[in-house]
Amino acid sequence: MGRDDVLEGGPPTESPESPEPTPADHDRDEGAGELERTIGLVGGLAIGIGTMIGAGIFVFPGLAAQNAGPAASLSFAIGAVVALLVALPLSELATAMPRSGGGYFFISRGLGTGPGAVIGIGLWLGLVFAAAFYLVGLGSYAGQVFAEAGIALPVNPAVPLGVAFGVALTVLSVFGTENTASLQNAIVIVLLVILTLFLSYGSLDALGVFGTESTPERFLPPGGTMPVLQTAALVFTSYLGFAQVATVAGDITNPSRNLPLAMVGSVLVVGAFYVVTIFVATSAFGSARLGEFGETAMVEVARAFVGLPGAIAIVVAGLLATFSSANASILSASRAVYAVSRDDLLPESAGRLNLRYGTPHVALGMAGGPIVVLAATGQVELLAEVASVLHLVMYGLVCIALIRLRRESPEWYSPSFRCPAGFLVAGLGALTSLSLIAFMQPASIGVGAAVMIAAYAWYRYYATDVELKGAF
Amino acid sequence: MTDTDPTSATDAPTGTEADTATDTAADTPADTAADVDGDPSADQPDRPTVLYPIQVLEGESLPVGIADVLANAHVVLAGYHVIPEQTAADQAREQFGERAMAKLEEFAATLADAGATVDVHLVFTHEAQTTIDRLIYEHGSLAVLVPNGADALESVLLAVRGEVGLERNARLAAGLFASTDATLTLYHAIGGDETEAEGESLLDSTVTALVDRGVRPEAIDTILDRPDAPFDAIARHAADHDAVVMGETDPSVTTFVFGMPAEQIAERFLGPVFVVQRERPGEEQSAADHPDGDQSGEG
Repeated sequence: MGRDDVLEGGPPTESPESPEPTPADHDRDEGAGELERTIGLVGGLAIGIGTMIGAGIFVFPGLAAQNAGPAASLSFAIGAVVALLVALPLSELATAMPRSGGGYFFISRGLGTGPGAVIGIGLWLGLVFAAAFYLVGLGSYAGQVFAEAGIALPVNPAVPLGVAFGVALTVLSVFGTENTASLQNAIVIVLLVILTLFLSYGSLDALGVFGTESTPERFLPPGGTMPVLQTAALVFTSYLGFAQVATVAGDITNPSRNLPLAMVGSVLVVGAFYVVTIFVATSAFGSARLGEFGETAMVEVARAFVGLPGAIAIVVAGLLATFSSANASILSASRAVYAVSRDDLLPESAGRLNLRYGTPHVALGMAGGPIVVLAATGQVELLAEVASVLHLVMYGLVCIALIRLRRESPEWYSPSFRCPAGFLVAGLGALTSLSLIAFMQPASIGVGAAVMIAAYAWYRYYATDVELKGAF
Repeated sequence: MTDTDPTSATDAPTGTEADTATDTAADTPADTAADVDGDPSADQPDRPTVLYPIQVLEGESLPVGIADVLANAHVVLAGYHVIPEQTAADQAREQFGERAMAKLEEFAATLADAGATVDVHLVFTHEAQTTIDRLIYEHGSLAVLVPNGADALESVLLAVRGEVGLERNARLAAGLFASTDATLTLYHAIGGDETEAEGESLLDSTVTALVDRGVRPEAIDTILDRPDAPFDAIARHAADHDAVVMGETDPSVTTFVFGMPAEQIAERFLGPVFVVQRERPGEEQSAADHPDGDQSGEG
């Protein structure tokens, strides 16, 4: 046991006590340090649910019901199916490549630099659009606080408040070093409790248990299935969060079990909540009336059931949910910037950390800046759809990457979780994600396409010599 | 894990700059090769395994004299860096890993020069406690060091609490100090309905255990008293000594390493404190065999 063994040991080929890779709780990169895995199944579920639940329940019900009537439930269910079809292939890829960057990393390694660059930059901006959308929702709920307090404001405060929250969240994530994981878990639990109570009461009421009159309405909207599909495309933003679990794949304990469970579980949980929410909301009011209430329609629904306390509970829940979604999206956007800059598709300085706070201040700024600008536009539907377009393209390519990697099965590809019926699920996942884009508004598709073209042009200009396929 | 397998790098036709950097880092002849000649969990009686947690990137360095105190130990030098949640762990590693590792290697060399065997680890973590706890367990560490500067090592206070940790306390104290000139002072605070005779017998069996392990009987002293506040008493007695060895008291290791009482004592005492860890279930088995990995997520 000489000291020389310690200081001049050879490269860490493999640790002697575990010749084959075992699902350890940490990353054994002995050269420059290990990475501790600290997020368990509960933490993973909290990330997924916390990112998603803000939009589907607290922003979309009014808009969705206006477009599709009670059949908006079906639109949310369609979204859940698409998300599930993508979640399984994504889990497999994430256990094979547990790196921050999620979908971007898998696509750049599986399909090459070009698609990788488009998706990487697209993911960053997609999250920027999503975060801006959540911020406008957050602003609407913060504005509702004034309304509940009886303070009349000269202008609709949603957009200015959303912008203010955007600035505050960005600054907080650069300088705040408090660990907020437990806070996130607590927020999710409080939310689920409030929603479960509210939706149980609402469902019983709608089914006539309490004898209140509910609003009978034909299920499908006048336009038939078309509005349902268009609404499914609009509200798909409510499911973007499940993929965030994959972006922290490197931090998750026992990833072969916890990753798929967290992704699939969080989609199932929020999907169920969404479907029931629409059912309850459209039972309480007519769809047209719901649409008039706009982003804070759920507050009126709660008021109709249990009066002011219900309204206040939903305002609080809405604030928590949209806050947690916006925060998660800002952080994910900064991780996307880091992942792309690590691969030299953006200048290296974008991924810099400051030693004092240990936070990626440049990347956070590159996320927060455009988010604030976009939030200032206040275009809720456009922001949501562009975010969805950019994500859906990524989901489609993730599925294609899975199929390609399974076909080629390179030596480094050894996922610890394998998607059941992989080719079928991934094939359907790619098909459904990409088809859903067709039902978006033309403007959203246009903006999404412009972002991707710009991303590709940037790649041709800046990073043609980068080769990422299989670089792992 | 797959991403640390250096052989996979050969798949890349032309590594990008970033990837090359990562791969080079992974190939750096760095550390932990010390494990090659044996099971890390088997701490030999003559060289007790001591975990030394150190926050290198926070500017923490080796206190004066600590290398001499650890001369007879197998030191698991656990550099760790706590990163905020908004930062991906691999992002921090990429930027700070080599710098931190260089620092750790420097410290390891100092400890090794004084006679210790050293096993270097560097961990980037979101939760320091999870990491320390895992390293204690994985390396079968007999004790965790709360580092502080030490003068010439002349006397050591060994706080004896009860029969339970006696064996391990003795193993650590004898392993570290039997071959030195330091005197060992055993201290027991009688509490509750314990009689003086029981206290005496506890100290006697500790002396026997130490002598069995090669400590010279004339180097051992004993103190027995009945203080109001046992931990205050330990800190008070510690003032006359250069190092303290004490047992783990709290059921949760993590509070112990970071909070009450060891750290408090270390703060007041201003010398190194060895916190002897209680035996973990299954410690004799494979060190890689982990308990439920979910626990860390439920915070």
